[in-house]
Amino acid sequence: MNDVVCLRNVTKSFHQRLVVDDVSFSLKAGEVVAILGPNGAGKTTTISMILGLIKPTDGAVLLFNRQPHEKQVRERIGTMLQEVSVIPGLKVREILELIRSYYAQPLSTDELINLTGLTDQDLITRAEKLSGGQKRRLSFALALAGNPELIIFDEPTVGMDISSRNRFWETVRMLAAQGKSIIFSTHYLQEADDAAGRILLFNEGKIVADGTPEEIKARISKQTVSFIIDPDVSLEKLYLHDEIKDIYRKNNRVYVQSDHTDRILEFIFQEKIGARDILVERGKLDDAFQQLTSSNKEAI
Amino acid sequence: MRAFQMQCRAEIIRVTRNRYFVFWSLLMPILLYYIFTNVVNTHASDQTAWQAHYLMSMTAFSVMGSSIMTLGIRMVQERTQGWSAFIRITPLSDRIYFAAQMAGQSFIHLLSITIIFIAGALINGVSLTALEWLLSGLWILIGSFPFLALGTLIGLMKKVETAAGVSNVLYMVLAVAGGMWIPLEVMPKTMQTIGKWLPSYNFGNGAWEIVHDGTPNWNNILILIAYSALFMLLSKYIRRKQEAV
Repeated sequence: MNDVVCLRNVTKSFHQRLVVDDVSFSLKAGEVVAILGPNGAGKTTTISMILGLIKPTDGAVLLFNRQPHEKQVRERIGTMLQEVSVIPGLKVREILELIRSYYAQPLSTDELINLTGLTDQDLITRAEKLSGGQKRRLSFALALAGNPELIIFDEPTVGMDISSRNRFWETVRMLAAQGKSIIFSTHYLQEADDAAGRILLFNEGKIVADGTPEEIKARISKQTVSFIIDPDVSLEKLYLHDEIKDIYRKNNRVYVQSDHTDRILEFIFQEKIGARDILVERGKLDDAFQQLTSSNKEAI
Repeated sequence: MRAFQMQCRAEIIRVTRNRYFVFWSLLMPILLYYIFTNVVNTHASDQTAWQAHYLMSMTAFSVMGSSIMTLGIRMVQERTQGWSAFIRITPLSDRIYFAAQMAGQSFIHLLSITIIFIAGALINGVSLTALEWLLSGLWILIGSFPFLALGTLIGLMKKVETAAGVSNVLYMVLAVAGGMWIPLEVMPKTMQTIGKWLPSYNFGNGAWEIVHDGTPNWNNILILIAYSALFMLLSKYIRRKQEAV
């Protein structure tokens, strides 16, 4: 039981609407995990429950084997919320000093500046006058202020330009190399793929896949076998196989979709349907992910 | 302990940088004080007594304002901008956070009281005994509690705009109807009857009594305590209702 984060059968509903549906997973020290999913998949709600900001309707959330709201847990975590949180009326340096004072062993202000790329100009600017990007940098610094073991980011790169985005992920990789555990949510497959060692794929409040980026990509990208066939030949025999997810004709070719393309080839030869010019293809990852996203939107 | 000190410091810095605070809680009362004791002839029978009386009115007016407005609006701001949520995941306990806010706010009130008292002494040469200065200052500091409770009640509102609007109206109505701008005695009878039940009148009256060689009446104290209890209960009730959703 050395899990940094452990969720057991966690369910959350708002006004009878199920937002997170029986989610269980755990995180070992040093893991970098992406919670990937389209908007409305329950990512933010799950993160809010991990942070103890909202209570699960059912199930248990434990951080370092304790309740999320305990002080011992708070000492060891840092977070950057989706809503950029700044305190008006204070300058960036004053805010950093203030938040550092909450923790027993904070990082030094200099370290925070180095890690997050805050400039001297930023430091003397009042929080309410910061640009979106500067606010993000400040929130990042605040997340790291207590030198946390577990860092939780909710959609961290929203509103960042490309260079700050790169810098952000570079720092995250460095923190991961130091052995910190990191959870972040994103709706970009690319980000999850680049930065995480493990992806939890969320859709409609459920974890639909949990694995390395390679495994997830294999799961969601569709594989097809396509071939040319005499239009008179019936494909009925192929329909009988469970392995086949979908069959359609396009430009004189027949496309057969399946997770096990080798088995499909076997069927084609067994049934002797006279297929020629056979191609095995893997669909584009982004398209597949996009499809997942759009099907969810229709549901709403 | 360091967190508490830092938090107090931060609260104080924030208030003094707030232009609304400087305008409404310092400039406005001093300006009104100058006008109603030097520019407008109020036909007061005893000028010296009137100058001391009105100094208390304006100090109470200032402190009441920063209790209702500064605290309430800031609470709404912090919540809507996600700052409260962020604070909740830090090791800072709710109790220390709240205590620091109250301590910071009290320090600000002390500052306002001192500045306005000095302004009164400089503008009109108001001279009270040391004990009177001290007691009236203390009364205004401690008597502001129901207004702080009212501030936290306003702090439960969802939008900054609503909170600002409502607190402004409440502030002005309480100030005028409670005899802080014009003494209650020169108002119509019904206004006087209503005014005597308002927290603002009872707040002001304690200080008026002190500078007129008296002591605050028991009913002033009781009414202020009753309002404090009412506002605290209301805010507890509303918070529970909000959390239930």
